[in-house]
Amino acid sequence: MTGLVRAEFRKAFSTKLWWALLVPVVVLSLLVNLFGGLFTASLADAHAGTGVPPILLGSLAYSLSLTSVFAALYGVVTAAAEFRHRTITTAYLTAQGRGRVFTAKAVSTGAVGALYAAATVVVGVLAGLVAHSGLPGVGALAAVTAVGLLVAALWAVLGTALGTVISNQATALVVTLVYMLVAETLLSLLLGRSDNPVAAGLAAYLPVNAGDVAVYDVAGRALLGDGTQLAELLAGVSRPPPWWGALLVLAAWTAAAAATAWLVGRRRDIT
Amino acid sequence: MTEDGGRVGVRGLTKRFGPVAAVSDLSFDAPPGAVTGFLGPNGSGKTTTLRMILGLVAPTAGEARINGVPFAALQRPARVVGAVLEAQGFHPARTGRRHLLACAAAVGVPDAAVDVGLGAVGLIDAADRAVGGYSLGMQQRLALAVAMLGDPQVLILDEPGNGLDPEGIAWMRSFLRGFAARGGTVLVSSHLLGEIEQTADHLVVVSRGRCVYQGGLDQLRASRRARVLVRCADPGGLARALATAGIVEIDTLPDGRLGVADADAVRVGDVALAAGVAVHGLVEETIDLEQLFFQLTTGAWRG
Repeated sequence: MTGLVRAEFRKAFSTKLWWALLVPVVVLSLLVNLFGGLFTASLADAHAGTGVPPILLGSLAYSLSLTSVFAALYGVVTAAAEFRHRTITTAYLTAQGRGRVFTAKAVSTGAVGALYAAATVVVGVLAGLVAHSGLPGVGALAAVTAVGLLVAALWAVLGTALGTVISNQATALVVTLVYMLVAETLLSLLLGRSDNPVAAGLAAYLPVNAGDVAVYDVAGRALLGDGTQLAELLAGVSRPPPWWGALLVLAAWTAAAAATAWLVGRRRDIT
Repeated sequence: MTEDGGRVGVRGLTKRFGPVAAVSDLSFDAPPGAVTGFLGPNGSGKTTTLRMILGLVAPTAGEARINGVPFAALQRPARVVGAVLEAQGFHPARTGRRHLLACAAAVGVPDAAVDVGLGAVGLIDAADRAVGGYSLGMQQRLALAVAMLGDPQVLILDEPGNGLDPEGIAWMRSFLRGFAARGGTVLVSSHLLGEIEQTADHLVVVSRGRCVYQGGLDQLRASRRARVLVRCADPGGLARALATAGIVEIDTLPDGRLGVADADAVRVGDVALAAGVAVHGLVEETIDLEQLFFQLTTGAWRG
């Protein structure tokens, strides 16, 4: 198994994809955190008279949310590339069982996703220093970073599962982007308008929202003492779960996608 | 190595894609220490069969075993079987060396095996170039290097001659002969008999997913007896005379000649003279294996 994981890392770092997606991650984190002051302005009231609030946490959380899209794309493209370039044949011939190939790939893409989140935080903090944002405490920064790493890693694994299930690279990419950027937002709006309070609260449990809620809640707790307000504002959901609950929700979605990939991949004919 | 070490066994293997039967009830063995040629025209189910043996395609019925177990049950598959398949690809931007390094990690062999493999297939100079720039022949060599990484007992190759120049084909031929001579099992497919005629010890010939011949090359040659082709003034009279002389396997060819089996030209000439039939031409038919193969796979041959 360790050999298979090493093989996946060697594949990952022998093509340009990982840094081609790292570039927009870094650029977006730089921009978002430089101009983070504007975007968290709505929170300033809560800190009236207490000096400059550590608004960097808010902009960091927002850039981590953006990073999760690239982590997902990395997983999708990596998994589907094996089918596109027909390297999946070699991967299956050199491993004992297709499940192990998927697991090894999920480990490597998850790690790259976490790397994207780490790069987001490092660049974001540097940008915050340049922009003289209020800097957060080490504990709060560590908490946001840890949750951000987990969310990005989960999204990379979820993307890997999607890429494996759909296997056509272009289709998988379009489906992922449309869902993450458009479809879930529409779905959340529809659910939010529902008169049924249960349905209205469901939006927070959709995968993109769950990942966002996790980082916004943990950032909001450090900023405002309670993360619900920030999570509701930025993720556009009502009555979100706490950060750890949201992480579990995203983990459940990821597990469901991985199980589907395992089931579909197990019997698929590789012709 | 066990007694069964490296034997590939196929029993009742069947694969249907929807209503189309790609492979029907196919059974054969590829023994260790020999090269088994897997012959058939394009579209006869060779690739599907090889992929079923390798666990890449699930059979509709029947089973394929390597070392007595299905591929999926092999503990370290790349240590037992190496494969060079047609639709086996490479990431075009990855270099040959990095592709092999990733495979070496998956197989569980030290990185030093990569340079050995590159040397064995003659790709040292091209190792640090992206595979996208490789010729088809170089890609075949790289695929072979991957297949050999785990030092397997069994080699399975699907149309390895494709993309190779004559020099490459000769090289591949001696490589496979050497592998079998060291006790390995080689199962190699081709749609051209001539391509593996000099390499194969056994033949499995398939047509439309069914086995039409299985055995040695010499037996295949022998199964088709030489005939004497006679052009004469009175084919009917000669046929009767031959039958009286005990020679009964006589065909009438489309051009009016008689094809006489079980007799040589001298005997046929003598019978014709005795019967008073004027002989205009008498040739001994040569056995062209390629023609024989063509007849086998088009279903015209009944043996």
